[in-house]
Amino acid sequence: MNKKDVIGLASMPLQSPTYPRGPYKFFNRQYMVIRYKTDADAIRAHLPEPLEPVGDTVSVQWLDLPDGEGFGAYSAAAQIIPCTFKGEQCNFVSQMYVDNSPPLAGGREIWGYPMKYGKAVLKVEGDTLKGSLTYASQQVATGTMVYKHDAFRKDYSAEQELLGRTQVTLKLIPDIDGKPAIAQLVGINFTDVVIKGAWTGAARLELVPAVNCPLADLPVKHVVGGLQMVTDMTLPYGRVLHDYLAK
Amino acid sequence: MGPYRFINREFMIVTYETDKDLLRQVVPEPLEPNPDGHVLYEWIRMPDSSGFGDYTESGVVIPCFYKGEPVNFTAQMYLDDEPPISAGREIWGFPKKYALPKLEVCSDTLTGTLSYAGQMVAMGTMAYKHQEAPGGVEAQAKGMTRTSCNLKIIPDVDGTPKICQLVAYNLTDITVKGVWLSPARLHLIPHVNAPAADLPIKRIVGGKHFISDLTLPHGRVLFDYLKDA
Repeated sequence: MNKKDVIGLASMPLQSPTYPRGPYKFFNRQYMVIRYKTDADAIRAHLPEPLEPVGDTVSVQWLDLPDGEGFGAYSAAAQIIPCTFKGEQCNFVSQMYVDNSPPLAGGREIWGYPMKYGKAVLKVEGDTLKGSLTYASQQVATGTMVYKHDAFRKDYSAEQELLGRTQVTLKLIPDIDGKPAIAQLVGINFTDVVIKGAWTGAARLELVPAVNCPLADLPVKHVVGGLQMVTDMTLPYGRVLHDYLAK
Repeated sequence: MGPYRFINREFMIVTYETDKDLLRQVVPEPLEPNPDGHVLYEWIRMPDSSGFGDYTESGVVIPCFYKGEPVNFTAQMYLDDEPPISAGREIWGFPKKYALPKLEVCSDTLTGTLSYAGQMVAMGTMAYKHQEAPGGVEAQAKGMTRTSCNLKIIPDVDGTPKICQLVAYNLTDITVKGVWLSPARLHLIPHVNAPAADLPIKRIVGGKHFISDLTLPHGRVLFDYLKDA
């Protein structure tokens, strides 16, 4: 392959790039978000400066992604810390687990999503919307939520605001000599967000301590509630908010 | 942080001859593919890897030349453990994807398989320890110091290329515990996302089986496509 074509490759490997070029459109992207109160000092310890924490409420969320362009069908779980960047309300993605290699590699390499391989499942079982997360053969998180108890709501403005917030990730890529090549805070804004349905209701959350999947390091003091959403949306490229290596 | 130490790392390598024009297409310039059209299809068991744990790998390595120096270019790599996938891609540019390789002794046969997205895409078999390789463990350890190289590609957050380099590394502190040559066969099944069969098998050259301890250190940039191309 000639040098010009090498520069045009979307990703490794040359013979079958792991992910194509973006943006990436998702259809029927379903969320279960469980918000809970935790320890404010632990939040501060998990949030990189110059981000500033907001309150003592964070969330663990499950995502079912049955139709992600370029990526296929997969599931994810994430921990989200609400914060501000220069006064703007943002959501910092502190941990994320997925069960599919292209979004895992693309997520880390393009945007710096802190993805590791974990098996998340989001499904309806009887009367319960249930999320589970298994990492290295151990179940480390279980979330349950009542199923569509507020079934007739039509105003999704709160959900639109939530999904419209800037997502922030910490992108870290080493150089071949082991030194940092990229150390940035990245901002991402989903586009073309369509909320097909959203439901709030009672929820419970259990987090099990595990060293390589440490969701429980932000312990559950009190569950605030659950939010289920079904959406279509587009994940575009992002922008650099803060470059830790810039002089 | 590296370097990374591997204990009892076991390799099965089936060398075969493929189409030379196809080989040229999948080797990035300025590397030159070997003139014999040889390809190494590998399985590697790694039961004890510092930082990474216990996992198995399988993939395609193409002997090449860089400015006249023989190097091994890693063209495809599949493994079943996420930290070495991420670290492999992000530090050294190993072209790693998640899949389920296996390397095991089944009765009289050393057997390697690779399953990608639920489908078998490669199956290699080798007779078990028929003869020690000429030169024994010392010659094998020396051979393993050969430079390996990868095409490291990392996009910027705006989608433009951020890192696009040919990078190189050399294994260190190599102890070979045994090395054997035996007859081998290889079967590759076409699959779009694990396209080992895109380099078709014209002739099997032979099989090599060896067990070693070694250290994978950081590396160096051989060629920077964004600066030098």
